Amino acid sequence: MQDEESLVRRAQKQDQEAFAQIYEEYFDRIYRYITLKIGDAVEAEDLTQQVFLNTLRSISSFKWRGKPFSAWLYRIAHNQVVDYLRKKKKTVVPLEETLVSGGDNPQLAAERKLDIEQVLAAARHLTDAQREVISLRFTSELSIAQVAEVMGKNQGAVKALQHSGIVALRRALSVTKNEE
Amino acid sequence: MKNREFDNILNECLERLLVKGESLEQCLARYPGQAAELKPLLETALAAREASAIQPRPDFKARAMYQFRAALQERTARKSRTSWGWFPRWATVMAIVLVLVLGGGGTVAAADSSMPDSPLYSVKLATEQVRLTLTPSQMGKARLCAQLADRRVAEIAYMAGKGNTGQVELVTQRLDRHLALLTVLVLAQSGDEEPMLMAPPTEEAGAPTEPPTTDEAPPEPVLAPQPGKDWGSSDDTARNGNRAQLRDTLVSNAAHNRAVLHAVLDEVPESTRAALRRALAVSEDGYEEVLEALE
Repeated sequence: MQDEESLVRRAQKQDQEAFAQIYEEYFDRIYRYITLKIGDAVEAEDLTQQVFLNTLRSISSFKWRGKPFSAWLYRIAHNQVVDYLRKKKKTVVPLEETLVSGGDNPQLAAERKLDIEQVLAAARHLTDAQREVISLRFTSELSIAQVAEVMGKNQGAVKALQHSGIVALRRALSVTKNEE
Repeated sequence: MKNREFDNILNECLERLLVKGESLEQCLARYPGQAAELKPLLETALAAREASAIQPRPDFKARAMYQFRAALQERTARKSRTSWGWFPRWATVMAIVLVLVLGGGGTVAAADSSMPDSPLYSVKLATEQVRLTLTPSQMGKARLCAQLADRRVAEIAYMAGKGNTGQVELVTQRLDRHLALLTVLVLAQSGDEEPMLMAPPTEEAGAPTEPPTTDEAPPEPVLAPQPGKDWGSSDDTARNGNRAQLRDTLVSNAAHNRAVLHAVLDEVPESTRAALRRALAVSEDGYEEVLEALE
């Protein structure tokens, strides 16, 4: 991706190409982030779309204040998720309709899907903050510094949440596996 | 060991494992004293990382991209209209004057039949907006919305025939808004909908706290329907009759408009076909929703 600042400035001037680049760069990552946050792959589609429409409407309000654009974008996604969870009692939909990359190997894709369903189920046992960190770190692949920007916390606090989140996830995963 | 120190070691291992591509064994070898505690955590992190294999469905992604580009184009078009500054206001003022003073005067009549690629089209839209605003009853507004939806479908078919994909997309969005407003008017009459100022949303739930600047043309306002009131008659029988009549009209319009769009589908350039299919979907979904609301 080219220099993010100039790309965002072009997008703020309604440059369609710049918007398209931002969209391509972040779409899948935001989708994964939302899927892990709400545990529903189908609802995550609509929310992801809404995040980008909201970004389009409000990008002119984004100001460079030393924070990366990604932090602002994930903040929109976070707000969207919070709004969704507040309005709706979630019903969890499995990943049946969702694709999981497995190359050309259907068996690998099926196994991955099972693993991911277990992770999604286990993630529901985490606190909101733990789930936020796990989602941003492991599905959106943000650095600790970026996660700290998104969450408005210092890096030490994020590392602590990462630690406790992994511990909680491990515990929940072992419970899930024992139940099967 | 202090928690903070272990948090740092764990993070260092995660970076090596997930970003730099080191193996689990290599990571553990760097911290033999913490290896026993690190191992299950790193294995869990690797399992969580599997979730990064989730991908949105290609058809959803294509649809989302289409909708995003359409929204982007409309926004760009709105921006370019505001760069003319005076034009939308001029068109609106002229429309109000013409509607109020001249009624069906020549310019209004000419604008009425204009298509989106015509200079008079802005007058047509402004005139419609004025009529919608000045229509006193909700039933009147609902009937007008139904007429406007018919007009949009005719415009979509016309612009599709000319291979103008951008205009097909823009007019489709207007069609969507007319049908959505129609649904809200019907629901408001049923008392299911909160009263509201009908206008495209400018504040979005998911936007961060910094308020979006409004450097675009203001949304077209339409007087809000009041739930259960002002449906043209306070008499229940008459109201039910009106609703039945509106339902019959909409059933007929839905079928007619579907036929109109289907008729041009095979004749338009390949590049416009996807936009036309989207228009068909918007039309069918929109009518379905309003008819459901009328049940």
